[in-house]
Amino acid sequence: MPLLKIDDKEFQVESGTTVLETAEANGIEIPHYCYHPALEVVGSCRMCLVQVEGMGKLQVSCNTFVGEAHPDRKVDGKYDMVVHTQNDLVVQERKNILEFLLLNHPLDCPVCDQAGECYLQDYSFKFGNAHSRFEEEKRVRPNEYLGSQIVINQNRCILCSRCVRFTQEISGTSELFVEARGYNSKIAVLEDKPLDNLLAGNVADICPVGALLSTDYIHKNRIWNMEQKPSVCQDCSVGCNVDVFSQKNQIFRLTARENQDVNGYFMCDIGRYGFHRFEEIERVSQPMARNGESFDVLDWDEAIQRTADLIEQSKDKTAGIVSPFQTNESNYLLGLMMKDTLGFLPPITGDEINYPTGFRISADRSPNLMGMNDVCGKLEEDFSSIIKTRDICGLYVLDDGVDRELDDRWKEILAKMDFVIVQSYAMTELAKSAHIVLPGLAPFEREGTITNDKGRIQWLRPSLATEGDSKPDWEILMLVRNALDKETEHFAGLSEVIKKMSEQFSSYSEISLFKIGAQGIALNGKNT
Amino acid sequence: MSTFKPVLTEHIHQKDCHTLSFYKSIGGYTALDNVLKMNPADVIQEVKDSNLRGRGGAGFPAGVKWGFIPKDINKPKYLINNADESEPGTFKDRLLMNKAPHQMLEGMIIAAYAIGCQKSFIYIRGEFYKEFKMLEMALAEAYDGNILGQNIFGSDYNLDVVIHRGAGAYICGEETGLIESLEGKRGWPRIKPPFPAIEGYLQSPTIVNNVETLSCIPHIITRGASWFKSIGPEKGPGPRLFCISGRVNNPGVFEEAMGVSLKDLIFDRAGGIPDGKKLKAVFPGGSSSAILTAEEALDVNMDFDELVEKKTMLGSAGVIVMDETVDMVQACLNIARFYAHESCGQCTPCREGTAWLVKMLTRLVNGGGTPKDIDMIFEITDNIGGLIDFSKGSFGKTICPFGEAVAWPVRSFVEKFKDEFLAYLPQEKVVA
Repeated sequence: MPLLKIDDKEFQVESGTTVLETAEANGIEIPHYCYHPALEVVGSCRMCLVQVEGMGKLQVSCNTFVGEAHPDRKVDGKYDMVVHTQNDLVVQERKNILEFLLLNHPLDCPVCDQAGECYLQDYSFKFGNAHSRFEEEKRVRPNEYLGSQIVINQNRCILCSRCVRFTQEISGTSELFVEARGYNSKIAVLEDKPLDNLLAGNVADICPVGALLSTDYIHKNRIWNMEQKPSVCQDCSVGCNVDVFSQKNQIFRLTARENQDVNGYFMCDIGRYGFHRFEEIERVSQPMARNGESFDVLDWDEAIQRTADLIEQSKDKTAGIVSPFQTNESNYLLGLMMKDTLGFLPPITGDEINYPTGFRISADRSPNLMGMNDVCGKLEEDFSSIIKTRDICGLYVLDDGVDRELDDRWKEILAKMDFVIVQSYAMTELAKSAHIVLPGLAPFEREGTITNDKGRIQWLRPSLATEGDSKPDWEILMLVRNALDKETEHFAGLSEVIKKMSEQFSSYSEISLFKIGAQGIALNGKNT
Repeated sequence: MSTFKPVLTEHIHQKDCHTLSFYKSIGGYTALDNVLKMNPADVIQEVKDSNLRGRGGAGFPAGVKWGFIPKDINKPKYLINNADESEPGTFKDRLLMNKAPHQMLEGMIIAAYAIGCQKSFIYIRGEFYKEFKMLEMALAEAYDGNILGQNIFGSDYNLDVVIHRGAGAYICGEETGLIESLEGKRGWPRIKPPFPAIEGYLQSPTIVNNVETLSCIPHIITRGASWFKSIGPEKGPGPRLFCISGRVNNPGVFEEAMGVSLKDLIFDRAGGIPDGKKLKAVFPGGSSSAILTAEEALDVNMDFDELVEKKTMLGSAGVIVMDETVDMVQACLNIARFYAHESCGQCTPCREGTAWLVKMLTRLVNGGGTPKDIDMIFEITDNIGGLIDFSKGSFGKTICPFGEAVAWPVRSFVEKFKDEFLAYLPQEKVVA
């Protein structure tokens, strides 16, 4: 393998690796704009220029490939390539490029959404000049809508063309292009083909400056005010890795988090803007019991006891309903409690969408259908007939807050029941018909594991604090189970539930949150 | 004066010189007939031995370029004839296309045969409508005469030639910009590597040669590499079409041997400066070459290497002559404006720097300049095109040489005629 020297560090690298890739992987900062690991290399921003010994001019490190040098041409007798990223020539060149980029760039950082996470700002501080030598008029252009949710601030654009390449290579929709030439170049769309594909939001993520902005987030917050927490999208069974940005328990935006085994660098707009759904729901945050047409608030001890009493009275005549939207642990515990009498809330489906470079949106729009099937033992497809044959008179529903129209079959079942216990964070149709409502956690509050449609188990971590008296769903189920039978386990935490679950299902054996980590693991032992 | 006898333009004044029958009557296509019996590698070697260097501007040895085509590769190979001729002050290719289209076509077919190409393109500047029609006619004649198409001259070699008209961008004369444009994309030059000879048109091995370069090929085949090498300097030999424009009595295209003195070209062939004015400066090789002062111009031969020593280049051999009436600041602004307009906008230094130069020079011309501006012009040009340091071989800071093409001439104006720039400064601001 070729031996590469960058500044004073040596690296053995695969032939064909670029200098920039090696530097990035080893914590050496080479500033760059147009280069993005998911996109074709164009080498046009000229920011990543470095000096390569033996080459007359500075080289763009994004397109400088390391290869085996002829024995006679090795530098110092052993290096296949020697690169300088810090010498005077390179330092000066970075200043020159930043000077050019800032000529017409407005100094509007105080009102720019990108401030704080802007590569132009960061590199200017690190590598640029403190003063401008430009004495001419700056070019001023109006903002334009590129699509219904993406606006471009043309003045801030540095024409790195990442967004153009994204629509050509990743979404395959090619809405964006560069219009005009030279100094007049600008990112544009055709009037009758706006940037409205389901991956459009990514262009705001990959824009290195504050040019492309999501109208959903524009002028709503500043990056330094928000907490950034890693999470997993729950809007389809792909399970894209995301970062959730919130302040004071309110989500402001979601961005894609890199995971090469799941979503690459991107996410779709269904998931990106999906969090708004939870802003409008009628939240349940206290245990409640039916009193005629309305509900009385209960404390937890009483709510758990009354739930246990109802189940106890109709022993073996209570069925559980799990959900493809709930975590493995919650579904698993309800299964434990209800033995073999389990049904499930219907999954949500949509169109399967596949993009040219492999990004996909699954037809299964529930995040954990595979996990639900894996950890619940026997699930009854034909639930109505079970109700009849086993004379079921009570239901314990692990509701998921999904706004479903319940069909006549379900309505019929509910009408037959003596009691319905609904564990839910939202006042759904089901909860409204319940005798007891136990407040669980909303999607961005809950913690647990979910299994995507390729059999990859991922750690869903809480992004927001729990609301009101709500408790984690697994804990409510454990408390009810303990109340029913004092001999059952008291789990001190989620990890203990996972341990018990992993002992029972061989495909989940030796699973732990530690092993799952930020990137998840494949259940079949192979990365999917 | 030398005893040079025109090669490429020998017959252009004769009646119907553009027709196939005329071309055949002067021995046209016999070179091709011979080549088709040769081993392609031998054809490449002959061209290599001739030291023929590209006539488009960069002066890269044509045979060496052909040799870069990978031998064992299962991909089609393409030859593209670069007829975009967009360099200001250059109008030789259009003459060759108008007057000797078959000479160029024969060169193309020989080159295509040498590199194993079965489909070739002529990328012609969109404004060249008359030349486009001329080439269409020549192609039709060639297809009729079994010179193109299947089994050329009864051999098992097949070649199709397609003419593609450009849409009017200077940058599409740069070979990778041209290839992008030919693929139907925006004419943005590609980053190298890979070079076109490895991955060019449709990711396949591609050779791009200039009209004049290709027109030399039949003569090299017929008369031999050593004959060609005997014309002018050995390292850059051959006949060359010089386009002389600007302040001369007799502007036009003149074929001379490489290495002819610039003085002879201007004062002998082009008839000198009108109205008895004095020579002031010359672009020796199109507007992207650094200018020479009168003194330098009178003491230089038009040879690749000698012009490089003078920190300029032979380029496209477009000689633009300026006399003492020319305002060098205005001329410099004119050049800068042209390049700012034609910059493709891909690379940061070129896109931003060219516009900066225009804004600054415009302010200077309008009386708003300051002494510091003059030094800034040096810095900006150096940051766009890199320092002119020929000892290091290459100098650019951008994907293609457009950066140098604007930086060098603009810088040379300020360097060589600084007094005129200073004279534009408001008087009270001139401090020693």
